[in-house]
Amino acid sequence: MKKLATGTLLLLVSSSAFATAPGGGGCGWGNALFEGQSGPAPHILGATTNNTSGNNTFGMTTGTNGCDVSGKLGYSGKSMLASVMDEFSEDAAKGHGEALTAVSVAMGVQPADRAKFAQLTHDNFNTIFPNQDVTADQVYSSLQQVMKTDAQLSKYAI
Amino acid sequence: MNINLFRWLRAAIFCPLYLSSFTPYVIAATSAATIENDAVLPAQLISVASSKQLWLKQEWLNLLHYKGYDNEASSPVDDPRFFNASSGKTNPQQELLASLQAFYQNVTDEPDTHPQCRFVARLHWLQKQLPEHLTQLPAVNCPSYIEWRKQVPGHKASLIFPAYHLNSPSSMFGHTLLRIDPVDDEANSTWLSMAVNFGANIQASDNSLSFAIKGLAGGYSGTFIVTPYYKKIKEYNREENRDIWEYPLNLTPAETERMVQHLWELKDINFDYYFFDENCSYRLLELLEVARPELKLSNQFGLTAIPVDTVRSIDNADLITDTLYRPSQATNINFLLAQLNPSQKNLVLRISRDANLIQSAEFKQITPSTQNTMLDAAYRYLRFQQYDEGRSDANAKNSFMLLQAINKVDNFQSPEAGFSEYQKPQKGHLSKRLKITAGNSNIKNTKANVDTNREFAELQFRMSFHSLEDNISGFLEGAQINIGSISARAYQDEVQLQQLDFVDIFSISPKNQFFQPLSWRVYTGLEQQLINGREHLTGHVSGGAGVAYEPWSRGYFYVLATARLETNSQFTRLLEPALGASGGLLQHFSFGTAQLELNAEQFLNEESRQRIKFIQNIPLARNHAVQLSINYQRQRNELNRYESSDAQLSYHYFFH
Repeated sequence: MKKLATGTLLLLVSSSAFATAPGGGGCGWGNALFEGQSGPAPHILGATTNNTSGNNTFGMTTGTNGCDVSGKLGYSGKSMLASVMDEFSEDAAKGHGEALTAVSVAMGVQPADRAKFAQLTHDNFNTIFPNQDVTADQVYSSLQQVMKTDAQLSKYAI
Repeated sequence: MNINLFRWLRAAIFCPLYLSSFTPYVIAATSAATIENDAVLPAQLISVASSKQLWLKQEWLNLLHYKGYDNEASSPVDDPRFFNASSGKTNPQQELLASLQAFYQNVTDEPDTHPQCRFVARLHWLQKQLPEHLTQLPAVNCPSYIEWRKQVPGHKASLIFPAYHLNSPSSMFGHTLLRIDPVDDEANSTWLSMAVNFGANIQASDNSLSFAIKGLAGGYSGTFIVTPYYKKIKEYNREENRDIWEYPLNLTPAETERMVQHLWELKDINFDYYFFDENCSYRLLELLEVARPELKLSNQFGLTAIPVDTVRSIDNADLITDTLYRPSQATNINFLLAQLNPSQKNLVLRISRDANLIQSAEFKQITPSTQNTMLDAAYRYLRFQQYDEGRSDANAKNSFMLLQAINKVDNFQSPEAGFSEYQKPQKGHLSKRLKITAGNSNIKNTKANVDTNREFAELQFRMSFHSLEDNISGFLEGAQINIGSISARAYQDEVQLQQLDFVDIFSISPKNQFFQPLSWRVYTGLEQQLINGREHLTGHVSGGAGVAYEPWSRGYFYVLATARLETNSQFTRLLEPALGASGGLLQHFSFGTAQLELNAEQFLNEESRQRIKFIQNIPLARNHAVQLSINYQRQRNELNRYESSDAQLSYHYFFH
């Protein structure tokens, strides 16, 4: 009875819920602050569904921004940054936070150097994020430049 | 609107759906056909395994997800690739013997497909059981598995419970997933841990009808999906504004290792999927049973596996060591706003529309620490809006200006919302409810001035889940979702079906200058209705939409415009429509919850009703409460005028 009852409800409320196919399952972050991140605009389903074909459903690839499944194993700093750029920019502005830590880990920054990494991104926020239309590529490249000028962190710059 | 409908729908069935582009696999390509190979087994291997009756061991039954033993065994895995014997789905013994055989298969140039690489946990367990006899195995290198384990090291695990989301009480069923952490994830980054999710695969071509039917009847398959945890944080905390509860588990590294090995066996494997019982939460229980075979979790759930109930069963099994909390963006915004006075809140709103206002004298005269709170609130509010509405240039520009301002502050503190003990979802009342009521009702014919007084007793059973006035600990305020409730009432001279609710959902979401959610109600079922001086069993579909406000803490005023479609033996038309209004006050006190509600409805056939109800619920303990309710109703049509009133005293018992 319960299944039937709830089925009725589902029927009542679900009309047209599936009318729109996703722009690309899990691809892109349509709601980022920075222009460079924005993906296919109306993510009707994109945010709430995943594409179940292939290895990207099993933690096999970086997953990164959801579009890039070509990246092989391991988080690269760049793909991680692209994935969480919204959160990363907020943490960089504040000088602390989990997105900042995650990006530093993905870039291979050792625990002893992470406070310095946070400090550096905080102090160079305006260089790394010059405007709201900057792309992830540009942010990554500026971050590399800034790290190269730092004695403690230059060893992590590529 | 589509977004909301979809979120609602998805939440209503507990679990995530994976929009799938996959095509159904081709049966028999890999499994049954390959096991009857000619590999030579060591002498005695089969006879020792048989004499030990290893297929009866709980570990083996768990690894194959069998329910029942021997002839009654059946695995919910709906995928021949998971079995080595053609009868594997129902025969633990044949499957075990065929697996032993399969491990001796010749190694091809695709080592990843070798049974040793695909059934890592099985092999590991059987080697422990048969150390002397499961020997001389062909050496296989498993490149994909080895690579995968670099991503999913597996040292410990947490149970993750994303709770409700804003104005979607149906999601109060929540969802559960597991997180697999490496050593020292706190020092490194929990964001980079892996989340393990079980969900249904839906097809883009499915329409809502086939979706509902298949979901209930088992027409969908479900698979496990492993994704980085930060994606889940973004999905729940930011996109859906659901708080996330994290429960570190006391699984040992060896137990976690066993679970991760088994997870690999489940890669791309299809299970039967049912919304209510064999859902996301249920499958996680099975994973935990693989990790720790002596656990008895999944057999506690028959008809439904409501996520929060599974959290409780895991808690009861003493697996949970701690409760951690990741507030959603909306929760954090409310937390910050609560620290501000009305004019400061107003300024936050204006700053979010024009960030240049942070240069104004009005802003600059505020103390620095409050300024920080306002910057943080305005920035977070912009992010909230952008997740809701999509990127706009104005939002991006204002957000960026606020980030620059935040960046100028030395050591910017950004505190987040915490939680009170009583909010822990696992500490809330259980999901099923029994209600025993004694009452007195009075029906008065106002024209003839005749009244009838009757005493009654009533018994109600509710399948799930939570009413507005129920014990609020662990639940979302203003969110009611009841599915499947039935009650019978006994008067001195008769017993009647009093009410049968299929669905009763009521969302009271307070509006303020920052958030403008809709408050709404939908309910349908059968109920006794006073018409022409007597109660008549009436079928109805009722609903309403409107607004709610929270003028003071934990007090909610609401007003809804309502509509109703009714059928009963007294009306001439088969379906009689009505319009109406409903308004009330819901107030949570420290000692319980009170609700006062006024309803009026006018039918097309001149029938009109006005109702007032008052409820006071007093929790006695987590799963016990008493409730007083007083109802008054006036019913009129062209012929008659009646009034009825009743007073009821109930005892509520919640159970699993």
